[in-house]
Amino acid sequence: MSAVLDNKSAPVAAPLHQASPGLWTLAWRRLKKDKVGMVSMVVVIFFLLMMFGSWAGIIAKNWSKEVGVSYANPAFMAGAENLEGVRKDDKAEASKVPYVDLSDIDPLAPRYKEWEERTAKIKVTETPRADTLLFGGDKWGRDVLQKAIKGAETSIFVGLVAALLATFIGTVLGAMSGYMGGKVGDALEWFYNVFTSIPYILLILAFAAVFKRGLDTIIFILAFTGWTGIYRLVRAEYIKHASREYVKAAQAIGASHSRRMFVHILPNVSHVCLVQLSQHVVQFIKAEVILSFLGLGVPVDSVSWGTMLAEAQSELVIGKWWQLAAAGISMAILVTAFSMLTDSLRDALDPKIK
Amino acid sequence: MLAYIVRRLWQMFPTLAGVVLLIFFLFNAVGGDPALVLAGKITNKEQIENIRKQLGVDQPYHVQLGYFAFEIATGFTCTYKSFTESKSPAPDAKGPAADAKAPEKKADNSTCQAVRSWATNEEVPKILTSRIGPTLTVMVPVLILETILGVILAIGVAYVRGTLTDRMIMMICTFAMSISFLVYIIVAQYYFGFKWGMFPVQGWTDSFWKNFTYYAPLPIMLAVFVGLAPALRLYRSFFLDEINHDYVRTARAKGLGEKTVMMKHVLRNAMIPILTNVGIALPGIFVGSFLLETFFSIPGLGREILVAVNRSDFPVIKAATVYLAMITMIINLAVDVAYKAVDPRVTFK
Amino acid sequence: MDKLLEVKNLGVKFKLDGGSIFEAVKGVSFDVPKNSTVALVGESGSGKSVSAMSIIRLLPREQAIISPESEVLFEGRNLLKEPEDAMRRIRGKEISVIFQEPMTSLNPVFTCGDQIAEVLRLHMGMSNAQAWKRAEELMNEVGIPNPQLRMKSYPHEMSGGQQQRVMIAMAIACEPKLLIADEPTTALDVTIQKQILDLIAKLQASHHMSVLFITHDLAVVGEIADHVVVMQNGDIKEKGPVKQIFENPQHPYTKALLSCRPSVESRPKRLPVIDDFMSAEGLKPIHKEERKRGYADGDQIILEVNNLAKHFQLKEGLFKKRDVPAVKGATFKLARGKTLGLVGESGSGKTTVGLTLMRLHDATGGQVLFDGVDLLKLSEKDFMKYKRRIQIVFQNPYASLNPRFTVGQILIEPMTIHNIGKDEQERVQMAMALLKRVGMPEVSFYKYPHEFSGGQRQRIAIARCLTMKPDVLICDESVSALDVSVQAQVLNLLQDLQDEYQMSYIFISHDLAVVKYISDQVMVMSEGAVVEVANSDDIYLNPKQEYTKKLLGSIPKGWQETAAA
Repeated sequence: MSAVLDNKSAPVAAPLHQASPGLWTLAWRRLKKDKVGMVSMVVVIFFLLMMFGSWAGIIAKNWSKEVGVSYANPAFMAGAENLEGVRKDDKAEASKVPYVDLSDIDPLAPRYKEWEERTAKIKVTETPRADTLLFGGDKWGRDVLQKAIKGAETSIFVGLVAALLATFIGTVLGAMSGYMGGKVGDALEWFYNVFTSIPYILLILAFAAVFKRGLDTIIFILAFTGWTGIYRLVRAEYIKHASREYVKAAQAIGASHSRRMFVHILPNVSHVCLVQLSQHVVQFIKAEVILSFLGLGVPVDSVSWGTMLAEAQSELVIGKWWQLAAAGISMAILVTAFSMLTDSLRDALDPKIK
Repeated sequence: MLAYIVRRLWQMFPTLAGVVLLIFFLFNAVGGDPALVLAGKITNKEQIENIRKQLGVDQPYHVQLGYFAFEIATGFTCTYKSFTESKSPAPDAKGPAADAKAPEKKADNSTCQAVRSWATNEEVPKILTSRIGPTLTVMVPVLILETILGVILAIGVAYVRGTLTDRMIMMICTFAMSISFLVYIIVAQYYFGFKWGMFPVQGWTDSFWKNFTYYAPLPIMLAVFVGLAPALRLYRSFFLDEINHDYVRTARAKGLGEKTVMMKHVLRNAMIPILTNVGIALPGIFVGSFLLETFFSIPGLGREILVAVNRSDFPVIKAATVYLAMITMIINLAVDVAYKAVDPRVTFK
Repeated sequence: MDKLLEVKNLGVKFKLDGGSIFEAVKGVSFDVPKNSTVALVGESGSGKSVSAMSIIRLLPREQAIISPESEVLFEGRNLLKEPEDAMRRIRGKEISVIFQEPMTSLNPVFTCGDQIAEVLRLHMGMSNAQAWKRAEELMNEVGIPNPQLRMKSYPHEMSGGQQQRVMIAMAIACEPKLLIADEPTTALDVTIQKQILDLIAKLQASHHMSVLFITHDLAVVGEIADHVVVMQNGDIKEKGPVKQIFENPQHPYTKALLSCRPSVESRPKRLPVIDDFMSAEGLKPIHKEERKRGYADGDQIILEVNNLAKHFQLKEGLFKKRDVPAVKGATFKLARGKTLGLVGESGSGKTTVGLTLMRLHDATGGQVLFDGVDLLKLSEKDFMKYKRRIQIVFQNPYASLNPRFTVGQILIEPMTIHNIGKDEQERVQMAMALLKRVGMPEVSFYKYPHEFSGGQRQRIAIARCLTMKPDVLICDESVSALDVSVQAQVLNLLQDLQDEYQMSYIFISHDLAVVKYISDQVMVMSEGAVVEVANSDDIYLNPKQEYTKKLLGSIPKGWQETAAA
């Protein structure tokens, strides 16, 4: 706005104009001083770049290719024995280790057959397979590192889009309820009460029960069940700000309701939304991982950190720990960085200057 | 106070109606035709038609909603179909809602049939009531331990606020929170159960004592361990918020030591947001940690619901959701009343 | 005279967020004699509270650094060198404190009795029963009616004045030698302030203690203090006996403080401002010429309010709603170019009158005739034309400007809404001109509110109203949050603007002296009802109603020979 004014009023004011930092600029300056926050931000940006790279097919394009032997060792364990590594044409004999029945506790058990059929179809050309891969291979000899990158793409994408959607729903409804109050407020409060009187996990599961599996579905489910916390906060902020004098002053000069709601109040609560957005990305990434683990998340032909963990559970029993480590560690790094960034953001945006 | 409770109970009806509508919308409108859901098992067209008739899904939506309301009113112990058939010829031209008060008498009638699971044909109320025990066996100790440990540790950390110890603990908490619950369970079950044999890998019996002392400890410890980091962070922030208040300065000006200030003045005030938080978590214990129940083969409510979701066993999910929504509302009311104990400013208007 | 407390070379620095250091107190020295009251006076940022808190070491440990050469000698012991546990035995026993906000300073979850008894058990070694009994006696002594019952009350069940009495009871419980009172009456209404001041003076004499009284209000100082210490920006400007400070002030800053504040006795054409005293050229001539106030017969009435009522609805019980009247039928007239002052204590409904007549609240009943048109009957669309003609300046300069807007945006917005100025460029020019008019540099146009002080923000808020050239300006406690010196500047600005634009003001304030200074007519309100309306000189000289008399009697008079004797 000031830039626009500057152009138009150039003859009057140009010599006087000095750049003046707004609250966002000040917040950014504070954030830049916060070392932990900046490092976290670099890590988060790295993961986001990885996500885009993977999405654009620049990296981890061939994650589904079976490039190694079954359960290929990681490169740093090249010498270790790999009983599974001997290629078999007969799948029934695939394992020599004592058979552990995990079907009871493995919710994916019913899907293994389906997956195996799919992989059987994909397998057309036989290429020579490596004995070791950088971070090991999975049951079908796929590169675990590439899977982790591809899995990151799915998990981060779901978390990000679902959080954006939930923040949007929560902010719009919260703003309406907090600013308007009255009948609209009552109706929205009712809607909120309905959603929060069902325990959160149960609400997600109920939605998951009736919708088909798919990326879009899980985003929808997470967003549509996860907006309530943001709604509560934004509503409280709007109630607080609506009675502030600057909003009263705007009313006195004749600013319309929508102008007060969006031009005056929204910029003053946007930092709350931003922190909530960032917090919900973390929350939704964790939720997506669990849902996908349970087979309620991403479709069977794609990979996410959750499906990797599902496979890793049975692999651990036969000593193949690397898929678990790859998914677990990459997720832990991203989520730690994101949480710390959220904390730093909250500190930096905290409007001490009022 | 009685007036307050009556008013709150009264206010629950619109919310409950909303929950019923939401569930109905999800399962009857979006969830679609049970015949298609069950198509995998039944292929005979006539049979499907029969089932649809039996379940009443051949009726228009408002009639189906009436059936659902009737089932809820009877606690899922009596389907509307079986109720009307039991005293045929059906005299009720007024519709199902008008009869909602009657069913208790009829419940004993052998012809009045409870809502049954689509997958196992068990009676839904029986499924739910039998699953609640194991869930609570695990989750009640979890909630208690988590709250007590969380409060104690949070006071300690708040006491040394701003020091290196404080910052290190907060860092560790953030990191601990970022590892998926799944990883904790998988690793702990593998090492503590499978490899080192310190705990049973999984299992459950009919004996509460055996369950509580033998099968439950590992899941309980896991849940407490994982829940502690976020609780500690949150409670610490509650304590720090309180420390900046004026009354803390007054307490210091009186000559009270820092420990008394924390343990008496700050703690009592911080209990207010802590109670709110426990109140929010409380309804969650009924669904339990469905992950723990799944991994450790605990026949609890959470696992039951998860199995039902995987089998598209709608009657079980619907009943569980409605029940738990009611329990949640009652708990919320109880928590609001309990506020009075910690916060004298609360008035019941 | 025996010294109880000697503060020598006290220096306090604060570590700020960005790692920078702020010097709050720059090596000050003063004494508190036994059996006397010393007032520490200064505006915000003068370091008066910081000095007092560092005496008992209650500053936040993490940020505050007390310079090593500082000494605080209390009966010969240097408190800054005492170990923490020895300090704890001094706090509450030898030296006790009362604070500004009694509501937040008491612990909300313990009963008042508990909180008083706690300090007795701690320092006097009393048993629970003894402490309880003694606490009850103390409550009686500080003038809380029905102490037996009140012991079991929680702080929120008491009024502000009673809460402050509980704080005082707690402070005097262990017969301290020194009582530090940190702005103890600032948050209270003027009639309550009077009672609390009297109580502190009485207790000081009967308990033979010394009081260190911290305040920004010189009028209060004159009533209570024996000695005065004047502080500004962390330095002591002047110290001495109260008589000397009031009758023969040496430092220009002290002189400025004494004359900037409007008094009920005189009404100069312009209030002296701090620059008149502090400027390099020495003393500027002070305007002694008096201004005549009051409505005259030929005045054109611009706003006529008849029976204006506003009730708020509270939900109660299952379905009931309770009607809470905030304004019970206010009737008054406002003349063009004149000022109507609205005074009353908190809860009197004075602010509600202002907000309701410009339709920021929906009125419950009555008429607001503006140029003969009833504003309350107009549709939202028709009212739009009138909106710009009645404007308001709020109390809190920190909350009344949108922190995310530049000053330029703030000033241009009303012009855009009301189509004032033919294009953006003209509006910018008008905004710049107005900034200049209210005494702000033009660069301010590009800055954000957080870069300005309270007084400057209030000028911006006034400029925002001026963009619409209103006929009526409502000033809702507009100068109450400002320091005395800044207050005088803003009051002068308001007066200049009234003379220039012939605007009418409705000036709402709890401060009787300021209202007397600025108003032609004064309306006194109490509990939603209008008590008395009259020309301002008449009402102050010759109040008709009992309530008005009580209110006027509570105004701190400053130092008077008789009071000191």
